[in-house]
Amino acid sequence: MDTVVNVAALLFFPGGLFVITAGLFYEWIDRKIIARLQNRIGPRWFQPFADTVKLLAKEEVVPEKVNPFFFVALPLAALAGALTAALYVPMAGLKPAFSFPGDLIVTVYLLGLLTLCTGLAGANARGRFSLVGATRTLTQFFAYEAPFLLALLGPAIAAGSWQISEITAYAETHPWVLLSQPIGFIVAMIGLMGKLELPPFDSPEAETEIVAGALTEYSGRGLAIFHLGKGVELVIGLTLITSFYLGGLANPLDFLLKTIGLLLVMTIPQSLMTRLRIDQTVGLWWRYGALLVLVQWLVLFAWQIV
Amino acid sequence: MKITTMFSDIWQSIWQRPITQRYPFERRETPDRLRGKLHWNPQNCTGCALCNKDCPAEAIEIISIDKKEKRFVMKYHLDRCTYCGQCVESCRFKCIELSAKEWELAATEKRPFTIIYGTDDNLKEFMAKFADAKTESAQA
Amino acid sequence: MTAVITPKKEKFIVPIGPQHPALKEPGHFEFAVDGEIVTDATVRLGYVHRGIEKGTEARTWTQNLYLVERICGICSHIHALTYALGVEVLAEVEAPPRAQAIRVLVAELERIHSHLLWFGVAAHEAGFDTLFMYSWRDRETIMDILEALTGNRVNYSANVLGGVKFDVTDAQRKVILEGINFLEERTHHYLNVVTTDSMFLQRTRGIGVTRLQDAQRLGIVGPTARASGVMRDVRVDAPYAAYVNFPIHMVVETAGDLEARFIVRLKELFESFRLIREILDNLPPGDLQVKRFPRRIKPGEVISRVEAPRGEVFYYIRSTGSENPDRVKVRTPTLCNMASVLSLSIGHHLADIPMLLVGIDPCFSCNDRGVAICTSDGGHDSWTWERLRQFGIDYYANKV
Repeated sequence: MDTVVNVAALLFFPGGLFVITAGLFYEWIDRKIIARLQNRIGPRWFQPFADTVKLLAKEEVVPEKVNPFFFVALPLAALAGALTAALYVPMAGLKPAFSFPGDLIVTVYLLGLLTLCTGLAGANARGRFSLVGATRTLTQFFAYEAPFLLALLGPAIAAGSWQISEITAYAETHPWVLLSQPIGFIVAMIGLMGKLELPPFDSPEAETEIVAGALTEYSGRGLAIFHLGKGVELVIGLTLITSFYLGGLANPLDFLLKTIGLLLVMTIPQSLMTRLRIDQTVGLWWRYGALLVLVQWLVLFAWQIV
Repeated sequence: MKITTMFSDIWQSIWQRPITQRYPFERRETPDRLRGKLHWNPQNCTGCALCNKDCPAEAIEIISIDKKEKRFVMKYHLDRCTYCGQCVESCRFKCIELSAKEWELAATEKRPFTIIYGTDDNLKEFMAKFADAKTESAQA
Repeated sequence: MTAVITPKKEKFIVPIGPQHPALKEPGHFEFAVDGEIVTDATVRLGYVHRGIEKGTEARTWTQNLYLVERICGICSHIHALTYALGVEVLAEVEAPPRAQAIRVLVAELERIHSHLLWFGVAAHEAGFDTLFMYSWRDRETIMDILEALTGNRVNYSANVLGGVKFDVTDAQRKVILEGINFLEERTHHYLNVVTTDSMFLQRTRGIGVTRLQDAQRLGIVGPTARASGVMRDVRVDAPYAAYVNFPIHMVVETAGDLEARFIVRLKELFESFRLIREILDNLPPGDLQVKRFPRRIKPGEVISRVEAPRGEVFYYIRSTGSENPDRVKVRTPTLCNMASVLSLSIGHHLADIPMLLVGIDPCFSCNDRGVAICTSDGGHDSWTWERLRQFGIDYYANKV
C-alpha cells in the first residue's frame, strides 16, 4: 500500500502529471501577461500544451558526431531531477509527499540538475552555437546558484531548520518573512529569474546571438522534455519562494493566489529591461547580489544574537 | 541608475485594450486610394493597348474581337498583377480603375486568377472562339 | 637538441547566417572567437542577388520604374525616385514643382517608417522586446498614413516618369499632421529611453566606436557616418527634387558608438517631422505630371544620387535611344557600410555582434548587385560568361 501511494505521488501528484500541467499553465500565464504589458493579445490558454504536442510529433534529429546515449538520456535526467524535486515542496498547499531533515539542499540541487544537464547537452552536441550556449549556461549556473540558495537559507535560519516542511510551518505561524527579510526576498526573486534564464538574464539562450544556446541541436522529443522541465522548475521555484517568504501555503487557493501573484510581480522586470551580456549578468550578481544577501545574513545573525 | 524608462508604457497598457486588430472578426475601413483588384470599363476603350505595353508584369491582355468596330475583351491575370496602378495612368480614356474594396484575393485553385472582362455579346463571341474549359468570365 | 612542436591554434568560428535569428535577410558572416572575444571576421554576400540590373535591360523605361522599386521593400520609393530623376534628366524634362514636393513628402514619410522599423529591430537584437513591440506599434501610424496617401503600405508606386500619380487632399493633410504630432511625442519618449535607460546604455555606450578618420577611410555613408562626425548628406551636399526649396539641417554626432547611431536616427526623425509640416503648409500649386513623356529617351548617360534612410543611393543610367535602357547600375549604401562592421567587430564580445550588425542598418536585398574588382594598377577586368563558368569548374575541381 505504501509503495502504491509513493508511486502515485511520483507519477500523478505532486510529481508527474500535476506538476507538468501546472508548469504549462504557469508558462501560459507568464507569456500572456507579458504580451498584455506589451499592448498585444498573447497566446490562448492551450498554447504551451499545443507546443509540447507539436514537438513530440516531430522527428528527432540526432546530429552526427554526438554521443547518442547522452543525447537521449540528458533530457530525461533533467526532467527526472525536476520531477523528483517536486516531491519535497508543499505543492498546491498540501504537505510535501516526502520530508527529511536537510531536504532543502536536496531540492535546490535537484533543480540545479536541470541546468547542469542543459549545459552538458550543449557540450555534447558540439555545434558551434551549442558550445557557446553551454559555456554561458554553466557560467550563469555558477553565478546564480549560490545567492539563490543563500537567500532561501535566510528563512531557514530564522526557522532553525533545514527541512522544508518545518520552515513552511514556521512561515505559517509567524508574520510574513518578507517583512523581516526584504533584501533576501528580492535576492531570491532575482536569483530565480537567473536560474530560469528569464529576461533580462536570458543570455544563455539569446535568440538573436546564438540561435537557441545549448539546446540548438535538439528537436522533437528531447526539446519537448527540456521545455517541460523548465516549466516544472518555474512552478517549484515559485512554490519555494512563496512558502518561505510569503507566509506559507495553507490550502490550494492560497497556493494559487500567492504563486500567481509572485509570477505577476516577476513579469514586470521581464518586460522592463533589455538583455544583459553574460559578463554583465555575472558581474551584476557577484557585485550586488552576493553582497546584498550577505548583508541580509549579517542582519539576521545580529538579530538572532540580540 | 534608471531602469524603468518604459514603465509608463507598461502601466498604460494594463488599462487599455490590446492594439491588435482581431482580423477576420474585425475589419477596418480601407482608404479610398487602396489599389486592389482591377476593373475594366469597355465603354471608351479604343484598343490602344498602352495598358498592356506599360504593365511591368504582363498582367493585362487586350484581345480584339473586331478591331474596326472597337470591340475588345480584356484578359486580366490576378496572380501576375503587382497592383502598381501604372495601367490606370497609361489609359488616356480612364477605362481602368483599381478597386479599394476588393483586396482579399486569395484562392485555393488557379481558376479565379484569370478574369476576362467585356460586354455581354463580346464575351459570348470570345468564349465561342477562344475559350477553353479553364477560363472564367466576368462582367465588366 | 629537441624540436618543440606547438599545435596550431585552431580557430573556433561562429557562423552568423545565412539563416540566423539575428539577420533579417541572408548573408554569411564568420567570426573567429576566442572564448567570447572576436578575433577575426569575414563576410560573404550575394544570397539575395536576383539579377535586377540585367532585368532592367529587357523592360521599357516605364516598366523599369516598378522593377527598380522592388529592389528593397523599406527604401522602395527612394529607388524609384532616383531612377525617375535620372531618366528625367536624360529626357530633358523636368517634373512640375508640386510633383517634386509630393515626392519629397513621400520620401520623408518613408524615412520615418524606415527609422522606426530599424529602431524596433535594433531593440530586438539587444533583447529589449518591449521597446520593439512599442516602436512597431507606433510605426503602424505611418503605415496607415502612407496607405491613405499612396494606396499601399510598401512599394508605394507614387512616381511616374515626369511626376507623381496623386495629390494631397485636405482630409489627408489633417490625417498626416495628426499622425506626425503623435509620433513626435513618442519619438521624444524613445530618445529619452535610449539616452537614459542604464541597462540599454550598457549595451550601446562605448561599443563599436568608429573614429572620424576611420569613417572617412572606410567610406561609410548615411546616419552611420554622421554618428562619427562625418558631415555627409546628399540632401545638403547636392539637393535634388524639392530639397532646394525646403532645405534640411544635417544631424551629426561625434561619439561614433552605437548610442550615437541611435541618437542620430531618432533626431533625423525630428527633422523629417519639421520638413513634412513645412511642405504641407507650403505645397506649391500646379500640375502633377508633365503632359507628355517621351517613350524613347535620347541617348546619353546620367548619374543620380539620393539620400536613402541608410545613406547615399547612386544610380548610373545609360540610354542608346531605344525604348529600353542600355545599362542601369545601382550602388546602395549598405555595401559601403558592410566593411566597417568587419573591422569594428574585432575585440568585441560575441554578444555585441548582432548590435554592431544592426547599427549600420543592413539591407541585404539592396546590397547584392554586381561588383567590379579594380586591380591595383588602376585597371579593371571584365569577365565573359564563358570565363566565369570555367572559373567555377576549376575552383571546384581543385577543391576536391
